[in-house]
Amino acid sequence: MVDFGFGLVPSSRINLDLFDKERYEELASMEPDVRKCMSCGSCTAVCTAGKYSATSLREAIECIHNGQPDKALGMLKSCQFCGKCTMVCPRGINTRHLILSINKTYGEL
Amino acid sequence: MKNNVLIVGGGPAGLEASSQLQRLGYNVILIERSTALGGHLAKWDRLFPSGVSARETLKSLMGHIEGVKYFTDTEVQSINRLEKSYNVILSNGITVLADAVLMTTGFDLFKASRKEEYGYGIYNRVITNADLEAYFRNGSDPRIDNPKRIGFVHCVGSRDEKAGCRSCSKVCCATAVKQAMEMKQAFPDADVFCFYMDLRLFGRHYEDMYLSAQRDYGIRFIRGRVAEVAENADGSLQVKAEDTVASKPLKASLDLLVLMAGMRPSVSGRRVGDLLEMPVEEDGYFSVKEGIVSGQKSPHPGIFLAGAATGPKTLPDTLADARAAAVMIDQYLSDVFPEAKHYKNLVRELW
Amino acid sequence: MTPLSYILTAQAAEVAQAAPEVIDRIPSGYNHFVIPFCIGIAFFLIWITVGCIRLLLKIPHHDRLRFWASLVNPVTALKNIRDLFFDCLFHVKIWKRKPLLGYMHSAIAFGWFMLIVLGHIEVALFVPKRLGISKTALFYPIFYRFFVWMNPGHTTLRGWVFFFLMDFFLLYVLTGISLAVFKRFRSLALGMKHTTKPSFADRVALYSLWLIFPLRLLAESFTADLSGGSFLTIPVNHLWHFIFGDKLWIMPSWWLYSICLGLFFAAMPFSRYMHILTEVLWILLRNAGIKPNHPRKGVAEAEIYACSSCGLCLDACPMNVQKKNLKYSSVYFIRFLRRHNEKKINEIADKCLMCDKCHALCPVGVDAPALRRAQRATVNNSICFDYSYLDSASAAVEQGWTSPGPDCRPAEGEDSTPEVMYFAGCMSHLTPRIIKSVEKVFKAAGVSYVFADEGGGICCGRPLMLAGRNEAAAKTIAANKKMIEGSGCKTLVLSCPICFKVFKEEYHLEGIKVLHYTQFFNELIASGRLKPVMGQERLVYHDPCELGRGCNVYYEPRAALSQLGTLVKASKEYDESLCCGGSLGSLTLDARDRAKISEAAVISLVANKPDKIVTACPLCLKTFSESVANSSYPVDPVRVVDFAEAISESL
Repeated sequence: MVDFGFGLVPSSRINLDLFDKERYEELASMEPDVRKCMSCGSCTAVCTAGKYSATSLREAIECIHNGQPDKALGMLKSCQFCGKCTMVCPRGINTRHLILSINKTYGEL
Repeated sequence: MKNNVLIVGGGPAGLEASSQLQRLGYNVILIERSTALGGHLAKWDRLFPSGVSARETLKSLMGHIEGVKYFTDTEVQSINRLEKSYNVILSNGITVLADAVLMTTGFDLFKASRKEEYGYGIYNRVITNADLEAYFRNGSDPRIDNPKRIGFVHCVGSRDEKAGCRSCSKVCCATAVKQAMEMKQAFPDADVFCFYMDLRLFGRHYEDMYLSAQRDYGIRFIRGRVAEVAENADGSLQVKAEDTVASKPLKASLDLLVLMAGMRPSVSGRRVGDLLEMPVEEDGYFSVKEGIVSGQKSPHPGIFLAGAATGPKTLPDTLADARAAAVMIDQYLSDVFPEAKHYKNLVRELW
Repeated sequence: MTPLSYILTAQAAEVAQAAPEVIDRIPSGYNHFVIPFCIGIAFFLIWITVGCIRLLLKIPHHDRLRFWASLVNPVTALKNIRDLFFDCLFHVKIWKRKPLLGYMHSAIAFGWFMLIVLGHIEVALFVPKRLGISKTALFYPIFYRFFVWMNPGHTTLRGWVFFFLMDFFLLYVLTGISLAVFKRFRSLALGMKHTTKPSFADRVALYSLWLIFPLRLLAESFTADLSGGSFLTIPVNHLWHFIFGDKLWIMPSWWLYSICLGLFFAAMPFSRYMHILTEVLWILLRNAGIKPNHPRKGVAEAEIYACSSCGLCLDACPMNVQKKNLKYSSVYFIRFLRRHNEKKINEIADKCLMCDKCHALCPVGVDAPALRRAQRATVNNSICFDYSYLDSASAAVEQGWTSPGPDCRPAEGEDSTPEVMYFAGCMSHLTPRIIKSVEKVFKAAGVSYVFADEGGGICCGRPLMLAGRNEAAAKTIAANKKMIEGSGCKTLVLSCPICFKVFKEEYHLEGIKVLHYTQFFNELIASGRLKPVMGQERLVYHDPCELGRGCNVYYEPRAALSQLGTLVKASKEYDESLCCGGSLGSLTLDARDRAKISEAAVISLVANKPDKIVTACPLCLKTFSESVANSSYPVDPVRVVDFAEAISESL
């Protein structure tokens, strides 16, 4: 087989097949409301840490759905846990608990 | 002996149903709690998608209610069910023996001051969609002072657990696009932004409105919900949202922010409904007998519903609903009172 | 011969001499019926000795030294004695809130204490050789009335006094026991809506405790005509003679009494009644200033066993407006901590609103919310975080102010350091009427201020602490501290009680006065810099959990508000005020449950029909505004306003 080298540069395309369903179900059992997120971006908009560094719960959830949990943890590592996102979420998601649950499910504690 | 039909609520649904039932030969009594007929339509300027005048539309609706007995500044005081009819005492002292009751109590506008983070009533440059319609009707509003940067916030009080309303108000997206274009017409040098969660432009010609807003008016649509507004020292507004498509938090300084306040079930309508023990669903609107084939009948025999009383509706939907209710009432009364004689009032009308 | 010489000579010579009033009728001073009691008490004494030693060994060395030091320090020693009497014996804290319940607990506690003490004094006076280091010392004083008979013709005043006192305290305890039995059927009559569900060991200990004193009465009154008695035991003795005629029931009744006592002491270490002795140790540790840093080990163990399962926290907890939430109460949290049930412990720990009401009402001062935070820390403190951006953020801020408006910078030439630094906090940005009103009041009073976090700032750190993430909190605190101390301001004013509590207690700001805006505005009114106009409106003030119970600020907001209108009372106020339900403290409480909590709080606030509800916390403001607007429960129209808003409206 000839290797034409098409795979040399890692694809910037999201591979949905990499989505870890089992881990996600684990997360959903801790915080069932994670399924409700409609990606409106209110959480990112009000984020206290977002002024200084890239912090976005919306993006973190998106990354988990897209099979990129490490990127998700990276988007949450600067979270100051202030609770503004919980105040504004229109779907009523307990975002602080969700951030903790994502860390417990996908992170190395 | 003609049957009496009591219609509660003098907005577009009530007006249209009155005129239809009047033509079918019934004795129509229409009551309205405020001073003028027309409901919310009486306060608007232009209607989407084509910008027809609300005043003209209302005038045409009002033009057909000849013969209808209507009372403004009147509410239902008490109501109780007799064997086949309803004994209604109105606040003006008149008693009506209604053989059918049609609830067209409509909706209330969400009080935008409840979303405190947007600063309505706190900052000077924040107004609602209703305020903007009034501005277009009356020509002036001290808060609108040659704005150069205008923002529209979709879904204020709708699709929001924190505001106590999970449902979409249906018409705000189309209204926002319409008003954005109107602002561009009024202030051609201004930059206009629409901040939305989802764009719901489902009706006929609505997508064309959207296209026109982008192509012809240069309105910028940003997918991200405005979550916090602050005021600069000069009175201009600092708006915080996220551009979810670019995946980055965003801030913008604006001279005017228009909040698209959503629809809520009418509080005064609910009061009357409670007198009749009409069930409501979790979203606060009245329950209907069945949502698809009997959307104008309430679960109680003889009580009918039309218009926004059963959920957010566009104006054409409301008028269609009202006409459907009139037909259903006619069918019902013919069944229950076969001996009553009704002669249609034929009115010649050009097509 | 005086009693003291009896004790001395008896111990020296071991001569079988007793005081003239009594006949020590059994030479060995022993009877088989004492065996059940001895087994029970021996087991119990070994258990608590081992437990106590283990506990003290688990405490860190420096805390242990502090503990020993506190025992000899006269100030803490006096406080210890006072607390032991007031909390353990008299239950003053319960008396203050629910008198009948307080009577019940103190009757059993103090009454039994006095019975034991007086019983030992009796033996010391009349049969001293049975005390001290003798074979009978363990059980003899307990069963004293069995072992001695009255010496006919030798009735003395002191003998009569002791008979009277013993009967008096026995009756006292019996009234307490009967109230306790009654409480099982009609707890509301004693002021408790919910009572604790007892575990199996609790039941064993409970029922044997109930039986101990009636059985003691039974046993002592069977022998009363022989061994003496007073106004209680003698008439009962006559009653038995009337009913039974002879004395064949003496042995069975003493056996039963012994068995019951033995059962109680054997079951005690596994039941809630362990608190009787553990709370003594806990009070000593607490007064030494030693705080638990782990929910289970070390000092926490004393605290957990000091809980008596009295159940007062059940009615205190705001979540319990819904019966389904009773299982999250502190009493059950502590029960599961004892049983090491990890799953339940975490579930309960994550639910708590941290309103501190259970801690405020606890008769022994068990700080269950702190234990919950410690539990949260065991899981959450190790979550990775990266706050390196804070170093550059605070560095940038140190250069100058964070984007203040032109109004709040002092004029050129004046001392460029403003009087006050205003830190709005994260939440206040979502309730802008607070910020606007605070700035308006500052301007009206001529206060020069800088708005530290006008463009957004760093979180104060308390939400992290509430979630148990203490390491992360320390980082945000350090960053903010640098900024504030570098600003040169002498006064820091907060509009959020959460911020206020952490700035006051954890930041240790050098030379800076930390004030909540209610305190600061009250000072401005008192000094005349603010001149509010008295209005006609009825106002009710809600004590935020973090400001009231959290920081003991109750008086200043009310003093200020009484200059604005008529201040009416809520049905529950001060340290009993109800949590609004919007607290950040809970990690898992859902919106529906919170709405019910808010509803209960609003109903309590409008009890006296105010026109305005005044809050001093952005979370309370938002929660109450939404609760009143959304209300599916009947409530008269009432406006919810913020404290600063109320003042600025009256200027």
